[in-house]
Amino acid sequence: MPLKTVKKDTAEKLTLEWVLHVKNYRLSLDRNRCVGCQICSLACPKEAIKVEKQPKSKGEKTRRPKVDVDLAKCNFCGICDILCPYGAVKVTLDNEHSLPVIEKECFPKPIREIQVNPAKFPASREEIEDACPLHLIKVSAPMSEKAESTATVEVEKEYCPCCRVCEVKLPSGAMQVRKFIYGKIAVHQEKCPDGCTDCLDVCPIAGALFLQDKKVAVNDTFCVYCGACKLVCPVEGALELERTRIIHEPIRSGAWNKTLERLTSPVGIAKELKNKGSLKARESVKKRVGLKED
Amino acid sequence: MAETASQKQEKTRQKKPKATGRGRRLKTPRPRIGVFVCQCGGQIASVVDVNELTNYVKTLPNVVYAEQMNFPCSRQGQEEIVTAIKKNRLERVVVAGCSPRLYEPTFQRCVSQAELNPWLFEMANIREFASYCHQANPKQATEKAKDTVRMAVAKAKLLEPLAPIELPMTKKVMVIGGGIAGINAALDLADMGFKVYVVEKTESIGGYMALLDKTFPTLDCSICIEGPKMVDVGRHPNIEIISYADVLKAEGHVGSFKMKVRKNPRYVIAANCTGCGECKDACPIEYPNYADMYLGVRKAISPPFGQAVPLTHTINRDYCIECFKCIDACGAREAINFDQKPEEVDLEVGAIIVAIGYSMYNPSDLEWTGYGKYDNVFTALEFERLILAAGPTGGKVVRASDGQKPHSVAFIQCVGSRDINRYEHCSSFCCMYTLKHAVMLKEKYRDDIEVYVFYNDMRSNFKGYEEFYNRAQKSGVKFLRVKLENRKILENPQTKSLTVSGETEDGKPVTAHSDMVVLANAAVPQQTAAELAKILKIPTAPEGFFMECQPKIRPTDTDVPGIFLAGACQGLKDIPYSVAQGSAAAAQAAAVLSKDVWTVEPLVAQVNEDMCSGCRVCESVCGYNAIAVENLGDKALARVKEGLCRGCGICGSACPMDAISMPNYSDRHIIAQVKAVMERGDKT
Ligand SMILES: Cc1cc2nc3c(=O)[nH]c(=O)nc-3n(C[C@H](O)[C@H](O)[C@H](O)COP(=O)(O)OP(=O)(O)OC[C@H]3O[C@@H](n4cnc5c(N)ncnc54)[C@H](O)[C@@H]3O)c2cc1C
Ligand code: SF4
Ligand code: SF4
Repeated sequence: MPLKTVKKDTAEKLTLEWVLHVKNYRLSLDRNRCVGCQICSLACPKEAIKVEKQPKSKGEKTRRPKVDVDLAKCNFCGICDILCPYGAVKVTLDNEHSLPVIEKECFPKPIREIQVNPAKFPASREEIEDACPLHLIKVSAPMSEKAESTATVEVEKEYCPCCRVCEVKLPSGAMQVRKFIYGKIAVHQEKCPDGCTDCLDVCPIAGALFLQDKKVAVNDTFCVYCGACKLVCPVEGALELERTRIIHEPIRSGAWNKTLERLTSPVGIAKELKNKGSLKARESVKKRVGLKED
Repeated sequence: MAETASQKQEKTRQKKPKATGRGRRLKTPRPRIGVFVCQCGGQIASVVDVNELTNYVKTLPNVVYAEQMNFPCSRQGQEEIVTAIKKNRLERVVVAGCSPRLYEPTFQRCVSQAELNPWLFEMANIREFASYCHQANPKQATEKAKDTVRMAVAKAKLLEPLAPIELPMTKKVMVIGGGIAGINAALDLADMGFKVYVVEKTESIGGYMALLDKTFPTLDCSICIEGPKMVDVGRHPNIEIISYADVLKAEGHVGSFKMKVRKNPRYVIAANCTGCGECKDACPIEYPNYADMYLGVRKAISPPFGQAVPLTHTINRDYCIECFKCIDACGAREAINFDQKPEEVDLEVGAIIVAIGYSMYNPSDLEWTGYGKYDNVFTALEFERLILAAGPTGGKVVRASDGQKPHSVAFIQCVGSRDINRYEHCSSFCCMYTLKHAVMLKEKYRDDIEVYVFYNDMRSNFKGYEEFYNRAQKSGVKFLRVKLENRKILENPQTKSLTVSGETEDGKPVTAHSDMVVLANAAVPQQTAAELAKILKIPTAPEGFFMECQPKIRPTDTDVPGIFLAGACQGLKDIPYSVAQGSAAAAQAAAVLSKDVWTVEPLVAQVNEDMCSGCRVCESVCGYNAIAVENLGDKALARVKEGLCRGCGICGSACPMDAISMPNYSDRHIIAQVKAVMERGDKT
């Protein structure tokens, strides 16, 4: 008899479910955290995710693209969950956030390296918390002028895209963040239509893009290369974005190689495979993407 | 190397068949005709005046002998005919009796005992054409009988001796569908020494029986009795299982069916896979398992269930993420091949057994049932997987809404069956499996469970079944008889429990509250039946089950010689009956396969090669692909495939060159009959 499935879509949340008698598989997408970037749709091995540009009405800010997941294609593997820079997707099995693809070492976890050094924090709680463009730093109260070192500072790591804004905003050494997605981004201002700020409108990292003489400019230090901007840019070639590396736990997995192929530039994969000395995988990638030996 | 049947066929074709029997030497333009008029124990004689008819027949030209008999088809009757032929030196024989469909072969054998060529025999059907249909008008019935016999005599005069056509026999058989019926057919035939191909659509043989918990009325474990048989099929040196495969094409005829079968890619090399399951353990992906009725899951690389035969694992590429962990786990066995492609194989077999079983109706369009909407409404097959110890819940009967054991369960019979708006037929085994489920629940949970059965008629009509019904009643199951109309199931949105209601025959309401409902949803024709029917050119009945040749005396034959039916695909039946029919079909097939040549009636189209222009009109009208124009050097000529030709004659009437004729059914024969029927006024 047919499989019982559920799909619910609200402004807050998208939920997909397989309701089996003994197991419950659920994918939920927190629309408040989702920025509508490129990552999950590229990462999904079943091509179940579509990201759609939203229509723009005059005088309003560009809206973030909308993510939709096809229930017929999704197999609840959780790869989108693992790779979402903003931690917007959660895939659970019987309400437990445990992913077999990780447990069975079939897919790597990106490494979010965030070091917090409370000794170096400034006194003001607001100042600390405001350092994060996504408001992920939480300082435990009470925090007094004198006893700041006893207060704990916590970062909601699972939602952190590692943009490094806090590292720069706070006194040196207070936070140390290493990006887990590396890449290149450039805005060719000569191609930008006058007054267009579409990319800036959707970028979740305040400071990664900014206005310079009425044109958008980039600060490469803060960009997490999620590609939300790329999706909304109206002019072909005005915004260039490329991911070159993803920092992850060591793994040997065909699924990861393919994800990498879709997420990063050919040069990026070549490097990773070279480092791993995985000749066979390299050959197959070469065949598929027409990689040139460098 | 063994000759294939088609090579042999080429050879036999070159040997011109020789007519045997006295008829061959017969040159007389005025043959001596004998007519035997049957009284049919009164079935004819009570309407047709047989005395008058017999006397009349004696006056017909060329008739040298006529007599009336009570049962010419009886042994004694046949002996009398043989004696009469010999004594009167008869050269043509006419029996005026019933339908040639029933008795022509009998009388053909009878005349050949008198050393007369069997095709010098003609039958006049005065029972169906006269006595049966004109009971109210005996006089006219008698006149019509005279007409019918007169026509037969006119044709008999022109009959020519013929020789049967012999086709070579490939001593192999294909069983399509590996359920319990197909399994039995395959094992029987393999034990008799025939090579058997079992073509199964899914990954494993076993059919529905492999998914059941226990079987009525003995309550033995289903897979424990079927499993060993499945293993026997897998191990038998004469059987080759071709699973995860589809029959694409069937050509040819009895003795030499040419089959094309597609093996679908499993991405696992069957020869290397040992079924160890190490890949399965390494695989991170699970998907809903059909074999568990989607109550449970299986891995992206796995067999559908533990006892699958073959145990070759299959990768479901719809769910696989291509992490290749299975390749690592498989290691040196190297059984995994992601580049596997569908493979088509050509097989030649002498006979085919179709045993593709049935499908289950999805009752979610019957709104009153709440199926698909209410969490705790199940189908019977889902219930089988729930109560099965090796099933997804480990045999615990629990509700979907809260995982709790129900304290009351209501079974609802005839859901979709016996419903003229859905399926008019009775699904035949639901009453019995519901009794089984009810007894199992009662015996498992005793007083801790109330069991209700909402039924309309309880059908328990085979050996040991009524006794089982009694056992259910004694165990405390409550049987509530209701009409099939106005049944309703309502859910309490808080507790997710259900209220089932119906009406007795005299309109009184009946209700029961239960924690869980199980629907006996209709069993329906196999979804693939229509397609397979088209491929094999076998008919289906209007409701979709395959049509047997004759429902009473030929229940396993199809209309096509050499193709037989077994199991639920012919009509719903339970396991014992499916097993018996599997063996019956095997015996039928063996009767075909054990012959060295297959003889067919020589009543097939004949092409006059001097007249044929190769225009291909015949090719386009033939419904059996039995005639085709072949290029023979400088000339294109129509050639008849004798094994396929049914002698319908349509090519003969379509041929613009009049190049095709049907032996003993040529224009001469027909016109003689037409003339004879027009003679009525002159003689009476
Ligand atoms: C809930 C339930 C409980 C039951 N309990 C009992 C019981 O206790 N006792 C009892 O006697 N009976 C019981 N039955 C009935 C029993 O299932 C059938 O009698 C039996 O399965 C019929 O066997 P079969 O081989 O004819 O068909 P199936 O079991 O349907 O097997 C047919 C096989 O053919 C394959 N196939 C289908 N299409 C194709 C194709 N085109 N090409 C190749 N292969 C194909 C199928 O995959 C399958 O393997 C129960 C039925 C149900 C629904
Ligand atoms: S990967 Fe991008 S699109 Fe997908 S959920 Fe995360 S932020 Fe949204
Ligand atoms: S490659 Fe596919 S089948 Fe093999 S282990 Fe990975 S997910 Fe499972």
